[in-house]
Amino acid sequence: MLAFEMERPRSLASAAELLEKYGSRAMVKAGGTDVLVWMRKHAVHPEVLVDLSEIPELRGISFYPHRGIKIGALATVNETAENEDVKRYYPALRDACLSHSDILIRNKATVLGNICASVPSGDLIPAFAVYEAVLHVFGPGGERDIPFSDFITGPRKNSLIPGEIVTAATLPLPGDRSVGCYLKLARRNALDLAQVGVACLAVEGEEGRTYRIACGAVAPKPVRASEAEKILQGAAAPGDDLLEKAGKAAAEASNPITDVRASREYRLSMVEELTKRAVALCAERLQGGRAS
Amino acid sequence: MKRDVHFILNGRPVTFSVEPRTTLLRALREYGVTSVKRGCEEGECGTCTVVIDDLAQKSCMILALEAEGKSVLTVEGLVGPKGELHPIQQAFVDEGAIQCGFCTPGMIMSAYAFLRKTPDPTEEDIRVALAGNLCRCTGYIPIFRAVQKAAAVMRELGHIPGRAR
Repeated sequence: MLAFEMERPRSLASAAELLEKYGSRAMVKAGGTDVLVWMRKHAVHPEVLVDLSEIPELRGISFYPHRGIKIGALATVNETAENEDVKRYYPALRDACLSHSDILIRNKATVLGNICASVPSGDLIPAFAVYEAVLHVFGPGGERDIPFSDFITGPRKNSLIPGEIVTAATLPLPGDRSVGCYLKLARRNALDLAQVGVACLAVEGEEGRTYRIACGAVAPKPVRASEAEKILQGAAAPGDDLLEKAGKAAAEASNPITDVRASREYRLSMVEELTKRAVALCAERLQGGRAS
Repeated sequence: MKRDVHFILNGRPVTFSVEPRTTLLRALREYGVTSVKRGCEEGECGTCTVVIDDLAQKSCMILALEAEGKSVLTVEGLVGPKGELHPIQQAFVDEGAIQCGFCTPGMIMSAYAFLRKTPDPTEEDIRVALAGNLCRCTGYIPIFRAVQKAAAVMRELGHIPGRAR
């Protein structure tokens, strides 16, 4: 690893000052499980690493019944997976957390770090898409909120401007009740990046039964399969026909690449299959009364 | 430029002088804690696992400066004052859960953090808990058996005041 200086600010205000002072020479880290590996592989060369891990206001997870769950920038993946409100109300998020890397890395890696890395295979990304998360950002221009659908702009690219820090994300509660899941296909269970990941919610709300489907690792940006969602709308127990159509629609919304983990053709075929399975699982769980 | 980092290592306060880029793994090894193994150095293999404030973590993904004020436990810290092995270590010996031994300290630290939270685990629990530690010799089965056995011994010891560790 090349030499660098490290700053460990104790408040958000001093972190922002440091980022302003060092500009493009600085990089932020929370857990650091991505950043340290990138630095070791010489993919990034910050002169100053601004470590956010000592900033108290970025910690914690809080649940507000009318607003949803707020996940702080320092909340680790394991902390999120084990949170009682996440277990009860955000099953797709919990599934995504438990599919991420392994139990050791999850003790250090943060949920928002996975989002901010904005790598297409990021496991938390489809879950953030279906829960329609809002990212809270602090920066030179003050505070602002970014809807998750506007956040990721391409592989490893997002809409943060220099000097901005994501401080937390809020995931609103979907509808009156909902169930969800995240299905991940990888070459092995632990420590692997997704070849395809599909998050699905079945929601019971004012508009009756609706579905939300998002697919990861199948396009430069997260894919919300809105055509598939339309096909399924109102279907409490979608039959094979409907599932088939929805799966095909999800594949049509995807535009994967061929890489070392899987070919484009395989990913297209698997996004269809995982979508069918995820929708069937959610529909069954909501019928079965396991809803939140 | 080197800076001082102060933390508790295996129950004793220590001060290391490190560069910001020095990982906890490299700092520990440089200061003689060689049970912490340098395997892949990118979070894939788990041979550098240590327990920090009761959480098992990969020390190659932690900068030494981040250990400031924390409590770091390595396999050396599990050994008793007269050199007696911890039940997990003993179980690894008894069950032949060691071949080349390179993964063993990391496996034991993962198992230690896990058994403190999950005293009566199923085999599936153990498999998930050790999923971040690779072993290329044993085929894992003796390791799962050792953790199961250690869990039983630790549950037993837990009933005797002063014996639970």
